[in-house]
Amino acid sequence: MKAPAFDYIKPRSLDQVFGLLAEYGDEARLLAGGQTLMATLNMRLSEPAIVVDINGIEALRGIRLTEDGTALRIGALVTHSEIEASALVAQHAPLLTLAAPHIAHRAIRNLGTWGGSIAYADPAAEWPACALALDAVVIVRSRSGERRIAAVDFFLDLYTTALQEGELVVACEMPVRRAEHRYGFNELARRHGDYAIVGLAVAARVTQQKMHDTRLSFLGIGTTPVRAPETERFLDGRTLDTAVLQVAARVLASELVGALTPLADLTNSAATKRHLATVLLQRVVAGLVP
Amino acid sequence: MELAGEVIIGVPPQQVWAGLNDASVLRQCIPGCEEVQQITPTETHTRVLLKMGPVRARFVGKILMSDVRPDEGCTLNFEGSGGAAGFARGSSVVTLTPDGSGTKLHYSASASIGGKLGQIGGRMIDASAKQMADQFFKAFRTCLDAPIAADPVGPVSPIPLSATAGVFAPSIAAQPMTVGTIATPAAGLGAESVRILWFVLGSAATGFGVWLAGHLAR
Repeated sequence: MKAPAFDYIKPRSLDQVFGLLAEYGDEARLLAGGQTLMATLNMRLSEPAIVVDINGIEALRGIRLTEDGTALRIGALVTHSEIEASALVAQHAPLLTLAAPHIAHRAIRNLGTWGGSIAYADPAAEWPACALALDAVVIVRSRSGERRIAAVDFFLDLYTTALQEGELVVACEMPVRRAEHRYGFNELARRHGDYAIVGLAVAARVTQQKMHDTRLSFLGIGTTPVRAPETERFLDGRTLDTAVLQVAARVLASELVGALTPLADLTNSAATKRHLATVLLQRVVAGLVP
Repeated sequence: MELAGEVIIGVPPQQVWAGLNDASVLRQCIPGCEEVQQITPTETHTRVLLKMGPVRARFVGKILMSDVRPDEGCTLNFEGSGGAAGFARGSSVVTLTPDGSGTKLHYSASASIGGKLGQIGGRMIDASAKQMADQFFKAFRTCLDAPIAADPVGPVSPIPLSATAGVFAPSIAAQPMTVGTIATPAAGLGAESVRILWFVLGSAATGFGVWLAGHLAR
């Protein structure tokens, strides 16, 4: 199918983007990497009056340390491939380096953007789960200024974020890695590149084989990335060995009930996803890397 | 797709039924509902603007109703079309039972998805349909608590009796009720409105599936 007719504009400044968003409101769609938007347009599932191509805005590009050196800033237009290949990311936010190869396929990673993934907030996408695990801050801007929103407050519901009308994601900042931090990422999908059935991003401090400040962020099981606080508390302070991991898996299985019951899809029941989450927990925590 | 849920509403079944019957109430409560068009007493066409994630599109669909039991529930068959990419088809059952001074509304729906959608499977269909249902019932409860508390008669919109008679024909056969009793304005509207909800859920599912098909790029 072909997309319905729409106007196209490529502004050179954020002010121009805000002007267009104010003028067209709901009828405007922002184009970054286009890996979701173009497919949606071609299937005629979205019929905007105007597509605003933000690729000309240099301020949205680039990976760099913040001036005080405590956080890594990733611009909204940075592609998945750029993150995958970035030495800065590998050094300061290695969780992202671990997760990047799991995102779709090379061709999609070459075009799809960090900001697009964060703004769409697909519950099975890798970046929202990583942002939550890393305690990232999402920086959004509108005509009336900039807002900094913690990841935990940004992802609200299925495809629903704290982004308001007239706002766009400009970047995210995440605290840089410290020496004792360890990370892990893995996901289970039927074929590589498919959306994961379940995925898990882990961040923790590990000293003398014991975990501290453990953050487990699951993708694909809820309407947003989901933390598992009880299991995190169980793991904190424990020595990492097989026996502990097996108990942790049981703690997780008993935690993923009630409000945290995994959402079933057409092929995977809640019970399947719960089981897969416990499998991933054991695999990822056992393989935590610096 | 299987979807089921239960909602407790703080007013008796008669008032819940009347609320479900009030097309204007439903139009307000159904997320994105733009138009409700009654073709025949048992067939309604609806247009819904679905806005979820990258999807922002209008879907049309129709719904047929059977087994109407005023104040108790009904069965709805819905069919939603998302154009060339696929369709959703299914049925749902709504039952109302008294629960103290309120009402327990139980709903269950099953839908099948065809066309391109069927090949892909639905990653988020269950979740999105559930979210639509939650949004609807939240708005519905708010809507019902306010006006009905103020007006004990309940929001009753007039409907031509000729239309109601046709709608309720099946239940007349099944239940020892007189036509006069059944064809109250409130009960009459109930028929077409409950199915709007189910149609919307159906079309949401379809829309989502269609979008997933488009999303195959991934």
